Amino acid sequence: MLFEIFKFEINYRIRQYNTYLYFIILFLFSIVAVDFIFEGQLGPLKRNAPIIIARTMGISSALLLMIPSMIMGVAVLRDFDHQMESLQFVNPIKKSDYLLGRFLGSFVILVFIFTAIPFGMMVGDRMPWHDPDKLIPFDFWHYLQPFLFLVVPTLFFSGSLFFVTGALSRKLLIVYIQGFFFLIVYLVAINLAKGSDNPFLTGLLEPFTFQTVPIVTSSWSVIERNTAIVPITGMLLYNRLLWIALGMLTLVIGHHLFSFHVVRDKAASRKKKKAGETENKKLNPCTMENQLQQAQSAPMPLVFPQTGIQANVVQLYHLTLFSYKSIVAAISFWAIVLCGMGILFINSFNLGTSYGVNNVPATYIIAGELVELTWIFFVAIILFYSGELVWKERDTRINLLFDTLPISNLINLSGKFLGLMLTLVLLIFTMIGTGMLFQSLHGYYEYELDVYFAAFFVEVFPFLILLGIVCFVSQVLVNNKYLAHLVVLIFIGISTVGCRVLGLDHGLITFGGSLLTTYSDMNGYGHFLKPYLWFKVYWISFSLLLFMIAVLFSVRGTEAGFRRRWQQSRVQLTAPVKRISMTAIIILILSGGYIFYNTNIVNRYASRATQHKYRAKYEQLLKPLTSLPQPRIAAVNLNLDLYPGERAYSVKGQYILFNPAEKAINEIHIQKLPADQVQLEYLTVEGGAILDSTYNYYGYHILKLNQPLQPGDSLKMEFKQHFTSIGFAERPNTFVVYNGTFLDNYHFPTIGYNQDIELEDATIRAEFGLKPQLKRAKINDSAALLEGKSNGDGEEIDFEIIVSTDYNQSVVAPGNLKKTWAEQGRRYFHFASDKPISNFYAILSARYEVLRKFWYPDKENIAMEIYYHSGHIFNLDRMMNGMKQSLGYYSKHFSPYQYQQMRIAETPAYSGRGQSFPGLISISENVGFIMDIDDTTDMDMPFFIVAHEMAHQWWGDQVNPANVQGKTMVSESLAQYSALMVFKKEFSEQKVKKLLRWNMRQYLKYRSGKAMHETPLSLVGSKQEYIHYNKGMINLNALQHYISEDSVNKALQRFIRDWNSYTGLKKQRTDRYPTTNDLLGYFRDVTADSMQHIIQDLFASVILYDNKLRHAEYEKVSEKQYSVTVTLDMKKMRIDSLGNENSAAIKDWIELGIYSEDVHGKENLVLLKKIMINSTQTTLKLFVPQKPAKVVLDPNLLLIDKNMADNEKSFNNL
Amino acid sequence: METLTISGLSKTYTNGVQALSNVSLTIPVGMFGLLGPNGAGKSTFMRTIATLQEPDKGTIILGETDVLKNKHQVRKKLGYLPQEFGVYPRVSADVLLNHLAVLKGITNKKERTEIVKALLYKTNLYEKRKKNLGSYSGGMKQRFGIAQALLLNPTLLIVDEPTAGLDPAERNRFHNLLNELSAATIVILSTHIVEDVKELCTSMAIICNGKVLLTGNPLQAIEDIKGKIFSKVIKKSQHETYNEQYTIIADRLFQGNTVIHIFSDGDPGNGFKPVEADLSDVYFSQIFGQFTSVKKQY
Repeated sequence: MLFEIFKFEINYRIRQYNTYLYFIILFLFSIVAVDFIFEGQLGPLKRNAPIIIARTMGISSALLLMIPSMIMGVAVLRDFDHQMESLQFVNPIKKSDYLLGRFLGSFVILVFIFTAIPFGMMVGDRMPWHDPDKLIPFDFWHYLQPFLFLVVPTLFFSGSLFFVTGALSRKLLIVYIQGFFFLIVYLVAINLAKGSDNPFLTGLLEPFTFQTVPIVTSSWSVIERNTAIVPITGMLLYNRLLWIALGMLTLVIGHHLFSFHVVRDKAASRKKKKAGETENKKLNPCTMENQLQQAQSAPMPLVFPQTGIQANVVQLYHLTLFSYKSIVAAISFWAIVLCGMGILFINSFNLGTSYGVNNVPATYIIAGELVELTWIFFVAIILFYSGELVWKERDTRINLLFDTLPISNLINLSGKFLGLMLTLVLLIFTMIGTGMLFQSLHGYYEYELDVYFAAFFVEVFPFLILLGIVCFVSQVLVNNKYLAHLVVLIFIGISTVGCRVLGLDHGLITFGGSLLTTYSDMNGYGHFLKPYLWFKVYWISFSLLLFMIAVLFSVRGTEAGFRRRWQQSRVQLTAPVKRISMTAIIILILSGGYIFYNTNIVNRYASRATQHKYRAKYEQLLKPLTSLPQPRIAAVNLNLDLYPGERAYSVKGQYILFNPAEKAINEIHIQKLPADQVQLEYLTVEGGAILDSTYNYYGYHILKLNQPLQPGDSLKMEFKQHFTSIGFAERPNTFVVYNGTFLDNYHFPTIGYNQDIELEDATIRAEFGLKPQLKRAKINDSAALLEGKSNGDGEEIDFEIIVSTDYNQSVVAPGNLKKTWAEQGRRYFHFASDKPISNFYAILSARYEVLRKFWYPDKENIAMEIYYHSGHIFNLDRMMNGMKQSLGYYSKHFSPYQYQQMRIAETPAYSGRGQSFPGLISISENVGFIMDIDDTTDMDMPFFIVAHEMAHQWWGDQVNPANVQGKTMVSESLAQYSALMVFKKEFSEQKVKKLLRWNMRQYLKYRSGKAMHETPLSLVGSKQEYIHYNKGMINLNALQHYISEDSVNKALQRFIRDWNSYTGLKKQRTDRYPTTNDLLGYFRDVTADSMQHIIQDLFASVILYDNKLRHAEYEKVSEKQYSVTVTLDMKKMRIDSLGNENSAAIKDWIELGIYSEDVHGKENLVLLKKIMINSTQTTLKLFVPQKPAKVVLDPNLLLIDKNMADNEKSFNNL
Repeated sequence: METLTISGLSKTYTNGVQALSNVSLTIPVGMFGLLGPNGAGKSTFMRTIATLQEPDKGTIILGETDVLKNKHQVRKKLGYLPQEFGVYPRVSADVLLNHLAVLKGITNKKERTEIVKALLYKTNLYEKRKKNLGSYSGGMKQRFGIAQALLLNPTLLIVDEPTAGLDPAERNRFHNLLNELSAATIVILSTHIVEDVKELCTSMAIICNGKVLLTGNPLQAIEDIKGKIFSKVIKKSQHETYNEQYTIIADRLFQGNTVIHIFSDGDPGNGFKPVEADLSDVYFSQIFGQFTSVKKQY
């Protein structure tokens, strides 16, 4: 019997077209799955490396969970849905045979469908456009092995789960959404697990293995990653067995709970009760009966049906409410809402920053979080309920009544659509309420309702409208509820990602246009709002047209064949439909035309492909010209008129150019910022020149000098540059904004070839035949050694600027503010530097408020100013204190501060970072200004961020490191160290450790995420933040711990003395800039011979430890003495340049801390023992005078330990 | 007074079933009964008039209006009760009736409240109007269907097997209601219960295999076969022999034996006794006559 049912199930499924449809979808998806999942970020890994195949399969099986849900969920449900259960269950079948037969049959089909993944991937890897260098030789087993051992168990578990829920719930909707729900729950779980440091647990519990695989292979070298098959042993094996067992358990439970009766007991009893009730009510008094008789024999009242617009409006309103109520009445709706609320509740609002502390719950952050956490539920509601509404009548078979109603399809469909939208609107109001409640609970009462409304109704709602319309149209045209959902997903996929792949990325073509740029407290939505709204008008009118098509083709009556509907559509083309369609077409054409006029005629539109070509061509044509010697900028004098309201400026500038080389310079090459809005009006040099405009297309101007510039000579160059914004561009930039303009030196003409214009992505470069970019010049590259952070445009300059701006804005720039005045309703600011500054300056203009304090070193005072956005007052004191403490510490220990003022200016959220210019720090509004610091627990990050940026006045400005490997160790790592030292003076040891531990974690986290191999700190390249920030802090902290803070500071003091750009003893004798080789020399000088190896370990190698406090116990020797015995497992690893981990011999000093606990539960360090370790396992006996409570290995976080969690033991046996 | 004129209506489904074949009928104001066995094409016919389906050929004219081309116009005067329909289970009768009333154009709230209330009384649902329709029994649901069909004071009322599932009292009540309405309305009533037609209808049609076999006044039809129906009690085993000799139009069991009715222009003798013809004899003589003629063709 079992076999019969199994066979029947298979035969049934084989005849279903769905089976093949799913197969084809999976197959097509798998062809591009690798590209989709890794987005070209494979790094050194090959496209078809076994580990990539395994991970892709794992992720695909999670993403496509909807398919097991659809296949397995309906296996039993089908009988109920087709109301076959009465016929089916009276047959003499055993329950277990029935269930198992159905399960196995469907499961076999499911596995068959999923074989599309390996086949699709094989085909995908063989596609001719892949670079053969990115592939390893084909091996069938590489695909089959992960499919059998990773995908099939996943399918078994998910299949069992979905089979059982489908059979038990008997609800199609549940079957339909459970896959999606499971995915959501899973994503939430991942989110929650992020905080945990236990990879073993994560690896074991991960049902899809796409996290387990990276965990088990985390220690693999690049070569292993590219060749070895992921072995099904250890954690991965347990994981698979666990999930298979859970699948079986689910089946057993399902079997137990499944009732083999037509009507379930609960329902039956309820029905009986109802029947009883009605019988009771039949005993009506006679008088009632009489009244009834009268009423029944009364003539029918006459009604006069209304037509016309007024009646239609009433009907539309009524239908909207009716549809809305029907959604809200559905249990499934509340399931989705509760799920969403649950996610809000569990995840809460992530106020976290990338600095380990939280922001204040500012409205735009809360609104953003609300949207981010719940948008998927909005999408789910639209997807599901569009189907439910369109099919509402047919699902309950009331359609024959409805279809004869004298109501037009237009009103009917619109009413339903508006009902759905009304539901969303009310949900949005609930969410706004939730957000405000959250803010109130956090003691934040600046609600800013307008920001909430904008976030939801401007940023999100238009998208929901568009999606809703697409869903409705798809439901009507496809005329199959479930297939229609799929069609929607495919449509969205094609119209967004698909178009982009084809190189069509204009918002007029990609469905819905682009997203609105992040909200900024300073600049609101700025100039982004207008184009955004135009695009939305365009797309909504387009969707309206689609909606009219749906109206025309709505199924009405008993015939749904497309031919019939086509015939009927002409009848449906009523006057209102025509009018709306015409209006939509007109708006579509007008708005489309207006957008096109703005983006493609007034402004230039360049598709991504065009831009790539431009950049590639730029490199190919102009890079050869770098061999020509160029002058350097020695002085900058600008006269800048800013018009923030019009997003425009004009600038008159004068550069003094100087020839530092030994040969005369015949031509000067000037690069204009490659943005169309920037135009050079003129460009002249003293002595005259002929302007060669061969490369004008690239903004590259060649001045052929009439008289060559002799070595050591200077000349004056003058230019006038305009920035004009007319209309709007397809991709607006943030150079000049209404409030918070932020221009840096790269905005004005630069000298010669600009490497920043080059393409960066290696794959795209390869398309143009370009070799991968060198991340940073080698440390001994003699040309690069002559360049600092301005890439050789001239590193030290005299600087003077006069800026005018709107009367309500202030300007911040480097230098002394000589004078400020008002003239013709504008404000003028004149800044000049009394000594050279580095050629790295910024000009900011915004409606600022100012906080000003003074710092009094022994001689004259120095002004400390913070220019901030009104209301962002949360951390001004911390920042001010950070400035003051930094000035104190750095000028005492490194060298005196070089300027007469220090300014911090807030910038809009667009850059999202802090930057340090001479005497001027820019900090993005979402970085330090709105952090919410709890002084008892939180690290004071605004203080730290300011201290870090302040340190750049020394490391970056005073000492300008050469543009070679290790550059950022000098600038960033030293800034981290300096800030840490200031932080240490100001805050408790606990907070310092918190900061160190956080940095250690960041380092370990990002290091494992990088495919690129890691370089030692002293050779750090670009884009390796986790090395120069996080590891830099840990290792420099370790250094000062080993050789003392004073010694490190002494070394740094000497480094500045010799290498500062302006008066450095050594710098003055050479043109080159300092490197880490120089820095390490000073470190070595102050390090005792016995400790010299430390320098090597910390800065010139990549060393990792995996230390463990294996065992610890204590014994009471006497009242005043306790002995503690500890066993340590030590593992030291050296990572070579290929990324291989090699174990290294240990010969290191390691610290062991023993803590006691006082009566208040406060921990006190009673012993800190430095031990020389030279074997992998050590047992030690130590004596302490108090009862020990905790033993900690490396309490000061000197060693980078892969797993910090196993470094301590508490003695709980009190 | 409008008349419904149907001419040349044909419909063949994609699976090859010919549901209507050249049906032409003229239906005046009053009750019109449509009799036919299961699968005769009654529902197809009624759905087509109720604007739910397109015929392959033919026209339907209501008064001056071409039904197939002006569906929207017709729907404004139409009441339709399909043979099978569902309801929203979690909505109460008055809410749904109210909803339907709005969609039918009764946007005046007062008017709507009145008609909904009146109809709930008339269909004896007023007591249960607040109950969810999901809890309604088959008969109650049917009454609800009747109520919604009458919402608009329709000039064309199409009811497809309306009394199926109603108890005798309710059936009676409904018949009275229909009767009341038929003074000013074209009421098309399809049924396979011959008695209903006899009791209610002033004209009728018998339809089978998509063809109209007979139209006219029920009493007239009975008159036409008067004296042509004979009956005899036979043994069950003899049925076969009799079937070959005579056109048996009805048989029923009577105390273990079979009573057969045959249609014959003259006295067939052989122990047959003349009986008084009633409408079911008309009906069966038409149906079986049809089958016999089919039989003969082969």
